[in-house]
Amino acid sequence: MKNILIVTLLCFNVLLFAKENESGNLIPDLKIKLLNGKTTSIYDLLEDGPLMIDFWATWCKPCKLVMKHLDTYHQTYSENGFKVLMINQDTPRSIGKVKSFIRSKNHQFIVALDPNQKIAKKLNGLIMPTLILVAQDGTIKWRHQGYMPGEEVEIENQIKEILGLNTEAESKDS
Amino acid sequence: MKKVVLFIVSVTVLFSNDLDYNASIVASYGDNYDFYSYSENRLDLNIFYNDIQAWVQYEYSNPPEVGFPINDIRKFRIEYEKDNFTLKLGDIYEIWGRGLAFNQIDDQTTNYDNGTRGLYFGYTNGGLSISHLNGNSDIWYFGNDLRVPYFKNSHSMYGNQAQYDWDIFSIGLTQLHSNETHQKYFGEAYVNHELNGIYGSMMLANADLFLEYVDKKSTEKENLFPGSPFDTLKNGYGVYGNLNIYLGNWGLTTEYKRYVFDRGHGDFTADEYGNRIGFQMMPTLGREQNTTLLGRVVHPYNYNDERGVQLSLTGPLPFGLTLLTQYAHLSRNDTWQSITTFDWENKHIDGFLPGSNESSLPFWENYQEISGFALDDNFYFRFGRGNNKDVMKTIRFFDGQELSIKENWVYTDSVEWQDEWFYTDSSLIGIDTTKYKLESKMWQEVSSITYPFELSYALNNGYSFKIGFEYQERKKKNVSTGNATTYNASDSSWTLVNPTNPDSFFVIYETQYTDWNSEKIKTQFNRMITFSLSKASKWSVTINHDQSNAFDGPKTVDPYYNPLEALIFGDLKYFTGKRDRSAPPRFGQQRWVSAELALNLTASQRLSIMYGSIQGGLYCSNGICRQIAPFNDGIKLTYSAIF
Repeated sequence: MKNILIVTLLCFNVLLFAKENESGNLIPDLKIKLLNGKTTSIYDLLEDGPLMIDFWATWCKPCKLVMKHLDTYHQTYSENGFKVLMINQDTPRSIGKVKSFIRSKNHQFIVALDPNQKIAKKLNGLIMPTLILVAQDGTIKWRHQGYMPGEEVEIENQIKEILGLNTEAESKDS
Repeated sequence: MKKVVLFIVSVTVLFSNDLDYNASIVASYGDNYDFYSYSENRLDLNIFYNDIQAWVQYEYSNPPEVGFPINDIRKFRIEYEKDNFTLKLGDIYEIWGRGLAFNQIDDQTTNYDNGTRGLYFGYTNGGLSISHLNGNSDIWYFGNDLRVPYFKNSHSMYGNQAQYDWDIFSIGLTQLHSNETHQKYFGEAYVNHELNGIYGSMMLANADLFLEYVDKKSTEKENLFPGSPFDTLKNGYGVYGNLNIYLGNWGLTTEYKRYVFDRGHGDFTADEYGNRIGFQMMPTLGREQNTTLLGRVVHPYNYNDERGVQLSLTGPLPFGLTLLTQYAHLSRNDTWQSITTFDWENKHIDGFLPGSNESSLPFWENYQEISGFALDDNFYFRFGRGNNKDVMKTIRFFDGQELSIKENWVYTDSVEWQDEWFYTDSSLIGIDTTKYKLESKMWQEVSSITYPFELSYALNNGYSFKIGFEYQERKKKNVSTGNATTYNASDSSWTLVNPTNPDSFFVIYETQYTDWNSEKIKTQFNRMITFSLSKASKWSVTINHDQSNAFDGPKTVDPYYNPLEALIFGDLKYFTGKRDRSAPPRFGQQRWVSAELALNLTASQRLSIMYGSIQGGLYCSNGICRQIAPFNDGIKLTYSAIF
């Protein structure tokens, strides 16, 4: 019983703290190994504007559904400085197929490799897909787990909001 | 308790404005008819403070779904990164190259954890990076129990890696030393392992290449007297190559592997050690399947003794479609001949390619898939076809020649009595020896063909539905062929089926499947239907119906008839009280029905409730497979959140 109380207390602490900090906390400046072999960091990618991070794998079915929309947003809002960073979690078993998969879809977003989930663990992206929207100053503005068809509307609204563009909801209100 | 207090203090410190943090919670609970209950709760906390990062994972599981009960800090790590230096203390997870020497993972679903608790030091300068790590690892493996691991291999290890990146080239050197205490069925063995490896890669505009080689030497301490030497136990090596070629949007992936850390004609047991160690998690060269039925026919990859090739072609088709085709062929590195029932003799397969002889346990896999979007990207479909053939084991395998000995006698004396001649003496005038082909083979093979199909459609009001269907035909049979059967130890020869005619050859196929009445059945038919309805960002309801007609092991009986099953089967008698619920009807057996409601409480908090039954069987993830226990008429609750 004592242990259950301790766990409950911890969860409550975290929940309470999360609610008090809705403005978001800062994302750490992690080093990222890109699919093209180059190395960068999250704050380097934030230089031009906000960043949407998504964790995915070639065998993850919902990941493939959402990434089509994310690629569209990456291209649509690139002139606003917005980027999408797709962090791949394929293990050595299937990592050799990542580049072929991306090229076959002609995706333009940035792809990074995280074969033993170092980055995913630090950003809590072990459940795929997990979306993290980061403002240019590094503040995490929105997190989302999983994907159901139709949720791309909410994703785009979040991107528009962080870019200061009119969202669908605001348009309706006005 | 001190650790818990320390942990609470850590959480409380989060209120400091100087810290950044993130956290995640996964809490799951399950209970079912077979007393298969679990309660698994994990809290992950990452703290970032200037150049310092800390990670703590607290787990309260009594018991977990798989693994040991725990109520403690399960994992922790503190990292300090400044300029070119990195220092880590705690639970380390690293990967070198493609993992032929070192690839550490913590996979909760298969309960495989080969992380090291110790120290890591890294230095980078331009394209050069070097690292050193040392510590201890306890790597657990399952025995007969499907939920609680039994075998523990403890490693006291250190390793070094150096990598240099220059333009399109990259090269790395690796070295790993481990002192292992290996748990056998009875007792322990003390083994030292030394691994040295090299890997390199090259990236061009239309191609990229990766190669890795690792050499391994194991020595064993056979007695525990101080100062006694280690004797060489096993030497081995592993090679892996990956060449990708791109033409426009088409990509061809080719892979080759050759792992020779041990050799054997059957499965390796805990008593066979000194071979590949738990840190070596290498590419398998089989497709990472993502449908339920294909996931159940995965080849049992052998990291110790296997070679193979895999080709995969991916590219766009007209009308926005994407084509994926894959082919893999694997086998052991040797063919094996059973000289007697228990004595096996190996012959190395010439060349580089895998073998097709049944005694080398070959495996073929072939998969094609077409997928695409239509109707303004609201409609998605995927249709696949996968077939494979796997020789699982050889029971006997002799293919050679036998000597036939025939004595020629003549009668040399005779007498006449009552008008009849009787021979009274004879003499051996010669012996004729002729060779004839002798074949006595028996192996077990599994083959299957599977058609996965999936479509989803999203309406403009946020609702969407998904229909999934998988159909599978599977055969599992023992094949006996030749002109002889068992080995007769008393006269040191194989027993001919027809001793008077060595040319009498036979082929017998014996299916390993039985139906509900324990009658032999040739083909197992499996069908999986999934229907899902969801409201974007709110909820989704999924119903699964899994059906099979045959068993390849003990018959599993569903002892309880639940209302969900009755609803799906359209059994009105159940709801009108005319059905005896204590005696489930025959048509409900060999079907597993479950329903799941998933709620998005917030964008980052999900709750799922599952009720029903899930068929047990093979579950694979990251190249690690384990048998999961059936889940009968139970409920599963899972809550996950990230902050």
